[in-house]
Amino acid sequence: MSELIVENLAKHFGEVRAIDGISFTVAEGEFLTLLGPSGCGKSTTLFAIAGLDTPTAGVIRVGGRTFFDGGQGILVPPEKRNCGLVFQSYALWPHMTVMDNLAFPLRIRKVSAADRKRRITTALELVEMGEYIQRFPHELSGGQQQRVALARTLVFEPALLLLDEPLSNLDAKLRIKARNWLKELQQQLGITTIYVTHDQIEALALSDRIAVMNKGSIVQLASPQEIYTRPSGAFVADFIGSSNFLRGRMKQRNSDGDAEVILESGLLVRTIWAPDVKEGTEVLVAVRPEHIRLTAAQPIANGANLLTGCITARSYLGARYQYTIDAAGTSIMVETEDSLDQPEVYASFDPEHAVVVLP
Amino acid sequence: MVSLPIPAPLPLPIARPSGKDDRFSRALFIQSLVAVATVILVAAPLAPVLWQSLIDRPLYEVGGLFTAENYVRLLSDAGFYKVVWNSLLLAFETTVVACVLGVAFAIFLERTNLPGRRALRAVVLWPMYISHLVIAFSWFVMYGPSGYITLLSEHWFGGALWNLYTIPGMAVVAGTGAAPLVYLFCASSAKAADATLEDAGRMMGAGSLRVIWSISIPLMRPAIIYSSLLIFIGSLEMLSVPLVFGRPVGLEFFTTFLYSRGLGGITPDYGLLGAAAAMLLVIISVLLAIQGLLLRNAGRFVTVKGKAQRRKLADLGPARWPLFVLFLIYNIVILGIPLVGIVTRSVTTFLTPLMAPLDLLTTDNFTLLFAYPAYVRSMTNSLVIATLGGAIATAFVAMVTLVVHRSEFRWRKQLEYVALYPRAVPGIVAGIGLFWAMMLLPGVDLLYGTIWILILAFTMRSIPTAFGAISPAMLQIGRELDQSARSCGADWWKTSRTIVLPLLKPAIFGAYVLLFLSFLKEYSSAVFLFTPGSEIIGTTMLSFWANGDTGPVAALSVIQLVITALFVFVARLLLRGHHDV
Ligand SMILES: Nc1ncnc2c1ncn2[C@@H]1O[C@H](COP(=O)(O)OP(=O)(O)O)[C@@H](O)[C@H]1O
Ligand SMILES: [Mg+2]
Repeated sequence: MSELIVENLAKHFGEVRAIDGISFTVAEGEFLTLLGPSGCGKSTTLFAIAGLDTPTAGVIRVGGRTFFDGGQGILVPPEKRNCGLVFQSYALWPHMTVMDNLAFPLRIRKVSAADRKRRITTALELVEMGEYIQRFPHELSGGQQQRVALARTLVFEPALLLLDEPLSNLDAKLRIKARNWLKELQQQLGITTIYVTHDQIEALALSDRIAVMNKGSIVQLASPQEIYTRPSGAFVADFIGSSNFLRGRMKQRNSDGDAEVILESGLLVRTIWAPDVKEGTEVLVAVRPEHIRLTAAQPIANGANLLTGCITARSYLGARYQYTIDAAGTSIMVETEDSLDQPEVYASFDPEHAVVVLP
Repeated sequence: MVSLPIPAPLPLPIARPSGKDDRFSRALFIQSLVAVATVILVAAPLAPVLWQSLIDRPLYEVGGLFTAENYVRLLSDAGFYKVVWNSLLLAFETTVVACVLGVAFAIFLERTNLPGRRALRAVVLWPMYISHLVIAFSWFVMYGPSGYITLLSEHWFGGALWNLYTIPGMAVVAGTGAAPLVYLFCASSAKAADATLEDAGRMMGAGSLRVIWSISIPLMRPAIIYSSLLIFIGSLEMLSVPLVFGRPVGLEFFTTFLYSRGLGGITPDYGLLGAAAAMLLVIISVLLAIQGLLLRNAGRFVTVKGKAQRRKLADLGPARWPLFVLFLIYNIVILGIPLVGIVTRSVTTFLTPLMAPLDLLTTDNFTLLFAYPAYVRSMTNSLVIATLGGAIATAFVAMVTLVVHRSEFRWRKQLEYVALYPRAVPGIVAGIGLFWAMMLLPGVDLLYGTIWILILAFTMRSIPTAFGAISPAMLQIGRELDQSARSCGADWWKTSRTIVLPLLKPAIFGAYVLLFLSFLKEYSSAVFLFTPGSEIIGTTMLSFWANGDTGPVAALSVIQLVITALFVFVARLLLRGHHDV
């Protein structure tokens, strides 16, 4: 039983509100990611759960045990929380071998020598680092250190696995490998995990659910698909992938979320999802650059939304092109594999790819 | 990926349902113990001094009433103004001498192509290792009114060219001894300063010496301010030079005033002594506060290290060799001749230009030291205090540093202030205060007559030094190294013991070396505290000196110098690779 409950958690540094009253629950075995730009309070949240930072107010509970309760003055020190925290810098102890690093938490738990050996071997094999048991941390590469840091955390079977941007110090290729490997490992172990990152691709690839944070608050907490297709606001839409925003007014919305929006240019845009707001409310229609098709000739009417515009800039990105289109005064980014030469183009996108967000 | 059976979850050995009990943890117990010990150690000598300065009778008598009378008496004594004036004048002149020399060393040894500068850099630091008492005695033997060189010069020139029994004379003795400190701070700030600033000056057509004068020296200003206040305070606290060169001609200073009033009469005037000691404390505290204000941003630990940068050295041109000779002569005069003098004096019955030293050779001075248990004891006591006391003090200060920098202890900031306060406590005041504390406090009197009271006094005085030596290294250890240990299940003390302290080994050893040397040299706080049985080299030297027995004083000085040299040599061997000493 290691469900995590966070209620109204706040951490203020004087005037700075690093976390501003956030609440969320992580189910047993779930992989939750805290995603947001640098400085939004992700690490502070994680450290508060681990007990390394004392929050200003709120409640933290794991598996029925209260770790922190600002109101009742309960504060469990980090060493009694049984949380495994992996640091961005790995924090391997430089004066100990890999073996001793892993033995440390086991010695504290008074595990017998034979059992210790077995568990260390198991954990190192789990991260594919079995042969490096006698090395010192400085004799390992960044990726290897990261694996050892993870093994040191897994070796004592923590109730919660907390990861603070564990892949950010790896190079791009290794990061993708490590990401896949981490996902498999977490699924295999079924350990409740909270993962902190500012990289939206990592978050989308790894998580069961994502909590998008901004300025100390959670702005949306949902599955990766929902976050991506139905961002709750302009911040999320822009942060998860980048989006084009078309300004307009809500014309009508039906009960299952389908809506029509009149753009400033007078064009009507249909979308498959909009928040429940009154007719006439100012809204933004978010469309991702990769979801817009560009054609030289007017496409056959098929229910898609259609804009006209002219190309003002283009750049080659390797596999695809990026165009900047000026459509009635609004600048739109488009990414497509097609190469277009003439300036006048038609830009179309399906209602499924357009969502309404509040500005 | 291997698929492995997952072992059963491990129970935490000490998991409790709620955190309420956790407040009374081992960590809090140890942290409170360290904090309380520090406060007691620092307050023990201070409280009796302040208390005594405000009551109308000796503090061991019952029924004392509060009064300002002691201060009134002190301040209406015209002689006391003379004492204060002398002390301030000597401190000022010493600071000027030390700063001029120290800045000159920093410039010529770090920023010019002076020949032999690598060797000279080491040599100019040597006075730092030597006890002030030994320096004063050595100068006395050679340059004192009847010193070897003084007599020689009178013989050649028909009159004395100098007189060390004056305040400027004493400032030269003390200032040359303190110059290495100024040099260290200025050199490190010269190294740490951005070389491009100087290059920029050079690009604009300024000559090398011009650049040094108008750019390098101003860049050293924080270091100069910091070290000059340090030296000003140091000379206010200094007992050795005023005792050796001031007392014979009736020049009184704060420290000699306390020394003679405290030890001289049969019944010392407790109130007056307390008031004078309290005033010295206040003056130094104010100076330290000024230093803190002036350098609020320059960092509390003006470091003695700096990153190495490739920079242009000013070309001294044809003046290189004359300047080199000047440096050589300087070192011979202020260090070489006094050392040769004290060594020669230790193996002769007498030292005079009228007779060849070889005709006066004797081993009597050393034989005497080893013939009487009290003298032997002073040497073994000094060694035990430096070795064992230094280790205890280092361990204690390491704990204080740990609590201040690496704990959640509530009063850790305040603890840091308390730990750094002994900088304001002169040795002689600490000695008087602890002596009085022994009269007042039950338990402390058990320490009387043992070397433990000396170890306590020396430890109290050395907390800031060791704290300053360990802190920078501790602050460099990443926080996540202890945080990760904590979340692995180790409590604060286990984390400190297995992660932080082992990583600090080089810095702790460096601090031990510093404390060993300063415990070996320390004497001023011991003069009120030692008894037959707990004498140390310094106090024995002073009692020989009081009787005019220069020979054994010289022999003891030589023994102290040899111990120092051996220890520094061994420490350097052990520290090779870490450049901490
Ligand atoms: N010790 C501190 N003192 C003051 N402000 C802090 C401190 N630690 C963090 N902050 C502030 O809290 C905010 C959140 O920090 P953090 O949780 O580290 O962000 P991130 O999401 O990048 O991990 C930042 O604005 C940071 O400046
Ligand atoms: Mg962070």
